[in-house]
Amino acid sequence: MILREPHVYRPQPGVFDEVFAPGGVPREYAEALVAELTKLGPAELAGAGRRRDAIFVQQGITFDATGEDGPVKDRPFPLDLVPRILPSHEWDHIKRGLAQRIRALNHFVDDVYHAREIVHEGIVPWQLIVSRPNFARQMHGIRPPGGVYCHVAGCDLVRDADGSWRVLEDNVRTPSGISYVLENRTAMTRLVPQLFNRYRVRRVDHYPQLLLAALRAVAPAAEGEATVVVWTPGSMNSAYFEHSFLARQMGVELVEASDLVVRDDVLYMRTTSGLKRVHAVYRRLDDDFIDPLEFRPDSLLGVPGLMRAYRSGSVALANAVGTGVADDKAIYHYVPEMIRFYLGEEPILQNVKTFLLGDPEQCRYALERMDQLVFKPTGESGGKGVFIGPSTPADELEGLRDVILRQPEKWIAQEVVKLSTVPTAGLDGTLAPRHVDLRPFAVFGEKIKIVPGGLTRVAMNEGSMIVNSSRGGGSKDTWVLDDGAGTDGDQASPDEVVNVPQSLPGLRYASWTGQAQQQQQTRAGE
Amino acid sequence: MHFSIRYLTEYRYDHEVTDNLNALRVRPATTSNQRLDDFQLRVDPEARIGRHQDYFGTDVLEFGISRPHDHLTIDVRARVVTGEAVDPPDAPWESLGHPAYELAGGEFLLPAPDEPDHAMLEELVGVARANSPLKTLHWVTELIPDRFRYQPGVTYVGSTVSDLLDGGAGVCQDFAHLALILLRRQGIAARYVSGYLWDAQEDGGDDSVEVETHAWIEALMPGAGGRGEPVWVGADPTNRRLAGETHVKIGHGRFYQDVPPIRGVYQGTAGAELKASVQMTRLDPQASARA
Repeated sequence: MILREPHVYRPQPGVFDEVFAPGGVPREYAEALVAELTKLGPAELAGAGRRRDAIFVQQGITFDATGEDGPVKDRPFPLDLVPRILPSHEWDHIKRGLAQRIRALNHFVDDVYHAREIVHEGIVPWQLIVSRPNFARQMHGIRPPGGVYCHVAGCDLVRDADGSWRVLEDNVRTPSGISYVLENRTAMTRLVPQLFNRYRVRRVDHYPQLLLAALRAVAPAAEGEATVVVWTPGSMNSAYFEHSFLARQMGVELVEASDLVVRDDVLYMRTTSGLKRVHAVYRRLDDDFIDPLEFRPDSLLGVPGLMRAYRSGSVALANAVGTGVADDKAIYHYVPEMIRFYLGEEPILQNVKTFLLGDPEQCRYALERMDQLVFKPTGESGGKGVFIGPSTPADELEGLRDVILRQPEKWIAQEVVKLSTVPTAGLDGTLAPRHVDLRPFAVFGEKIKIVPGGLTRVAMNEGSMIVNSSRGGGSKDTWVLDDGAGTDGDQASPDEVVNVPQSLPGLRYASWTGQAQQQQQTRAGE
Repeated sequence: MHFSIRYLTEYRYDHEVTDNLNALRVRPATTSNQRLDDFQLRVDPEARIGRHQDYFGTDVLEFGISRPHDHLTIDVRARVVTGEAVDPPDAPWESLGHPAYELAGGEFLLPAPDEPDHAMLEELVGVARANSPLKTLHWVTELIPDRFRYQPGVTYVGSTVSDLLDGGAGVCQDFAHLALILLRRQGIAARYVSGYLWDAQEDGGDDSVEVETHAWIEALMPGAGGRGEPVWVGADPTNRRLAGETHVKIGHGRFYQDVPPIRGVYQGTAGAELKASVQMTRLDPQASARA
């Protein structure tokens, strides 16, 4: 073991550190933060950390992780008390790039289920699209209210060694994490208020209002009369905290499948005073489970007939059904082309260089460089099944090679990005560089609005680039600095009403039973 | 041939159920050699019927009965005129590589998502290949009934090809699923077809027979000599022949789950007793049809 001088922060060579420039001098926008942290000292920072854990456990801000000895339940969500700062020009760049990307993805989803122009133009192969596990044939020909598909998007961004931003992954199904953004900010102002002293940090707490406004904007109801609900798969779901948090913050009902019923082609919610029509559903479960008549027949979480109601246009679902075709990891490769094709613009944010292993030439190239690339299964999210070549033992890579060669079209390879670092407090309060990514949250109703910052995830172990909270990652409060140039439409209008009291959920019914007939013939003479 | 078809389904429930929602794919399609003259659907208890076309172009009829009920009758009547299919074109194997073929085949060329890892399947795939795609299609309709017994009751609606291979027996749904894999593995686009089959014996002379819904397949054959448009050719691996005017098509998909005749759910845990029958009656005199 190498002993180091205490309290000396050493940025890693060849990695972009967001607080200290090469040579160890704080970047201009971070000077005040460094000064406050120095004044605070490691002991006080560590003490604030212990208070944070106690509060999070008490408030139920916890999550379930996979530890070395199996699943770990109800750990306090690990918030690192050193914030991440994004100067306003940096944020403007990200925001424009994301809005552009989400518009293109939204076009793509519409195109896939209707005209298929991008296929006819020879840009994306049809067989690739239809073989994506999240391509939803049930969505064919359905145009959702307002023409919006990707109501909530959470793309993952990383910063390369030269400080440039890149999109690592798109997520336009049910991205989670926004509740931590809001809770983190609240916790920071309580635990380390002095860090905010010399900064004007843009607010994030209006996210629920932005979401509610977007849901109302797409709801097929007269102005001011839309009933909106949040649909959770239930309290066993790992993101249940967030589902209930958002419902409470928006002042709308949190429902499960048993609270919902379709009559003819209209969706209703059961209440103590009878059925109440629902116009917009923020649903936090995958397509496969939403309607057993059209998706998995064995799904007990779903609402039979929901697709019929959706098809008739009487209800908006957010996100739309079938958006998973757009955030597939093989489709990701084509996003820059989509931006050019649908918008006639050059991409503002670049992709990470990606190889489609379904293509024999790209596959051969990637398999010759397994120890230099990252390998990902295309249908998964949340870091599941990812192999980082440089840190994977050679024999494991050999096994992976066999797996890939069996179904190469189910894999992609990407160049390794050396994620940027931000000083992060250890248990004793001393600071060390840790790798981070960023998941900003965009909401698309009438227009695309993006909450300043987003969820910064941080790999808590030295050198690690795995930031997923389910695999030991932590988070940071993300500060977008206000340079006084205005908030350009990211704030909710003040007249959005929130915190309407919730009524009691209605009766719960017994389970559903399915009926189907096997196809068989009775042959003549039998 | 000119048929009237009556597809009657009756459910009786142990006790009352509510919110009984069903999606029907029972309406005969209109194709180049099939015309639908009349179609009626009656549901008891009464319900408002919704109708749309799904991704594969099949007509879907949907209804829901919310109030408590202890029985459900779905009464489908149709009158259909079918014609003999045109002679399928024969073309060499190389024609499958033509871009027009790949375009027309689309997703029906892709491997089935649940293709089993089974030694017998590999053996069958090896045996199934003949001198041309069309000869392979003919051969597959013989090979499957040669190797597997037709036996209702040994498989069920959710059975897989693996179950058929293990058990050595199944029904038309299972035979069709196996045929799809054998053809796709040769690079031939193939899709599952749901419909009704006129199943009277050749000289039986009956004008009306009791049948059930039937399943067969369609395979994409390259145009004659490898030129011209590829065409979908119906083939029935249960009955050892290409599909013809005895086959009334409802719709197609990648597999059974894309075109189930009836799919439904209801609230409650009541058990259900099902009686389903398909009655087909020939409206044109047999003599003139034979002439």
